[in-house]
Amino acid sequence: MRILLIGFGVVGQSFAKLILERRNELVKVHGLNPRIVGVVDKGGAAVANPELDLAEVLEVKKREGTVAASKHGKKDASALDLISNLDLDVVVETTPTNIKTAQPGLSHIEYALKLKRNVITTNKGPLALALPELIELSRYNNVALLFSGTVGGGTPILDFGKRCLASDKLVMVEGILNGTTNYILSSMEAEGKSFEEALKEAQRLGYAEADPTLDVEGWDTACKTVIIANWLMGRGVTLKDLSVEGITHVTKSDIEEAKKKGKSIKLVGRVAERIDVKPRLINRNDPICISGTLNAVRFVSQYAGDEIIIGKGAGGMETASAILRDLLEVKYRMAQRWYE
Amino acid sequence: MKIVMKFGGSSLADGSRILRCGSIIERYKQNHSLIVVVSAMDDVTDKLLVLTELAKNGNREAIREHLEVLRAIHIEATNIIKSDNLRAAAQEEVSKLLTELEKVMTASTLLKEVTPRTRDLILSYGERLSSILLEHTLKDLRVDCLRLQGGEAGILTDEAFGEATPLFEASKSRIRSKLNPLLEQNIIPVVTGFIGETQNREITTLGRGGSDLTATLIAAAVKADEVWLWTDVDGIMTADPKLIPNAKTVPQISYAEAREMTALGAKAIHPRAIEPIAEEGIPVRVKNTFAEENAGTLITSTTQLKEGEVVKALALVKDVGLITVSGAGMVGKLGTAAKIFDILSKSGVNILMISQSISESNISVVVNRSKLHKAVTALELALLGKGVVSEVHAEDDVSVVAAIGAGMQGTPGVAARIFGAVAKRGVNIRMIAQGSSELSISFVVKEKDALTALKAIHDDLNLGG
Ligand SMILES: NC(=O)c1ccc[n+]([C@@H]2O[C@H](COP(=O)([O-])OP(=O)(O)OC[C@H]3O[C@@H](n4cnc5c(N)ncnc54)[C@H](OP(=O)(O)O)[C@@H]3O)[C@@H](O)[C@H]2O)c1
Repeated sequence: MRILLIGFGVVGQSFAKLILERRNELVKVHGLNPRIVGVVDKGGAAVANPELDLAEVLEVKKREGTVAASKHGKKDASALDLISNLDLDVVVETTPTNIKTAQPGLSHIEYALKLKRNVITTNKGPLALALPELIELSRYNNVALLFSGTVGGGTPILDFGKRCLASDKLVMVEGILNGTTNYILSSMEAEGKSFEEALKEAQRLGYAEADPTLDVEGWDTACKTVIIANWLMGRGVTLKDLSVEGITHVTKSDIEEAKKKGKSIKLVGRVAERIDVKPRLINRNDPICISGTLNAVRFVSQYAGDEIIIGKGAGGMETASAILRDLLEVKYRMAQRWYE
Repeated sequence: MKIVMKFGGSSLADGSRILRCGSIIERYKQNHSLIVVVSAMDDVTDKLLVLTELAKNGNREAIREHLEVLRAIHIEATNIIKSDNLRAAAQEEVSKLLTELEKVMTASTLLKEVTPRTRDLILSYGERLSSILLEHTLKDLRVDCLRLQGGEAGILTDEAFGEATPLFEASKSRIRSKLNPLLEQNIIPVVTGFIGETQNREITTLGRGGSDLTATLIAAAVKADEVWLWTDVDGIMTADPKLIPNAKTVPQISYAEAREMTALGAKAIHPRAIEPIAEEGIPVRVKNTFAEENAGTLITSTTQLKEGEVVKALALVKDVGLITVSGAGMVGKLGTAAKIFDILSKSGVNILMISQSISESNISVVVNRSKLHKAVTALELALLGKGVVSEVHAEDDVSVVAAIGAGMQGTPGVAARIFGAVAKRGVNIRMIAQGSSELSISFVVKEKDALTALKAIHDDLNLGG
């Protein structure tokens, strides 16, 4: 299968490493031979047929900062050029999340769908701002649009809700969907730190970005909540339809107060009648009341009742494994015609 | 003899060349009964194709410039006509057609749409314009002639615009009733090649092999003795002279050999053009307008085998890819080859060559390079992960070299000489086609070695004389 990888940061590189490690097993067990024919970053691209030497591309990226320095480098090639000029089965989009314009990811995804390339993305921006129309476009063009990695990293939250509960009817989904804020709230509670102190600590440990706005103001959680609402519950909403509140104003005393009542403050994204993101009081013995960088999601369905999934919410290799899960799905869809 | 003569675009590229064609016709008409078929002037069809693209983009300015160029080329060519009256008449006819074309272009540009039917109409102007020039040039030489558009001459086709197929029997009887009376009166019909018309009198074009097909169809209808295709080379060559400078003209080949050559991408006559004359066995001669004295190549229904000349020509097929499907599990497992054919045909990929190793552990196929990746993806999706096939390997840097000639396979030692010549230059043969046509032996080499291999065979088998 011929793949174009757009974005070669933490997630993109982890995906390349995963393929290098697991290729033989993928071919033998799953009949999937992932051939990465192009990789794009801000410095340009690397392109080769029948596929790139991933070890070389990874090494060059580490040494020179851009894949354009590879022996197959193309300085002037843009992602859009390659989407149309290469013979492709799948476009994997892993550029940074932008919640204002969704760019450059949105143009990449729209263009790829238009040209009937299957799309796998970990980029939440385009989904948060335009998921209803992207789903429609992918169906119209008869290609897959898959995004397991956007919610829960490697933890199959979307797949669980979509497939395992397909026969039931989801009434409500709520969860702790952002590892950074959960780490901050947990350490405020356990160590009596202020928000600022806990944030600094999280940044020092690499759990929070230098600019933590997306996480602490609730936008990352909101993006994931939009995806859940659309994909699992058929609610055609985008980011602007949600009320979003972050954790920047949560104080030590709020947390003390909650503790006394046997509760914790958690940043929760919830899709029920209303769809919102805000800090909520959660019983400390509720299984979704997890601490540290973990994620936890509760599915409430009409007949099966409550189910909870807990797992690591992010991480390069974890997210790469979600891309691979989507890739196998694309493979099975494409191979369907040969099974008759 | 009754001869149908077709003049190709290079033979009609400007006024003086058109005059040369006129003189050839004037000379041969003394002893023969002639029918003339013309192509468009060199490059004109390409320019018309560009016009259709420009119309789709609504690019008026560029269209105007292109039309101006077309006008200049054709008006310039009329200057070869000596008689003032005939020259003025030719210019008027040319202008009239170009004004008409301009209107068609204006309409298409407004709509930003060119349907296949409109496209055929636009393309037809090339031959319609060149026939005006040859007609008036002939009249200037006092040769009695009548210009006819394909449809007027009797060529009736289906409605597959862009690559229409003649309705053979209907066309033949119409051609006969139109052209025979002219021949009896010693009037030479000048027919536009490449163009036909439907039952509803809409203009169609004949697609690949176009004006050759017009010539052979007419030949079959009027039971001509020969078809002569006038071009700018000395006939069919032993190899592409751009690659092999000492390539020489092949004196004779059969229809089947010509078909094989065209299939392998060498310059010969298109199989579609052979179809109408195959049954009658009318010979086709390919001749050089600029070196009339040379015999050219004669294409006939049967092959003439000459001692020591079993290989007649070489072809090089460049844009191909090689796929090797392998797996220890394939040994003794029936049906893998059939499955590969099936997968590729369902994916719309044509197989050019195939071979299987004796051990059955791998099968190689050659496909068009533009379809290589599509083919590999389809094969991987369908075959991997089932314990039989373990790898689908793709190479996009290979070429096919082919030696063509009937009787080659029956002549002992030919294959050995071919492969010996290649091996002697240290070129590695990646794959040999087995059981393909009896008319050719083809093999795959790396692209960078292709020319060396071609030269080696051309030299060692003395094709250059
Ligand atoms: N990291 C995680 O655990 C995780 C988990 C789930 C989802 N995600 C999402 O996955 C995406 C990628 O995350 P990441 O951690 O890998 O981010 P990252 O390390 O910042 O990587 C982003 C990559 O995108 C490239 N890029 C930026 N603009 C581009 C453009 N216009 N054209 C081509 N490439 C461009 C960057 O190029 P340079 O290398 O040249 O700067 C970089 O290689 C983000 O949307 C993120 O939200 C991440």
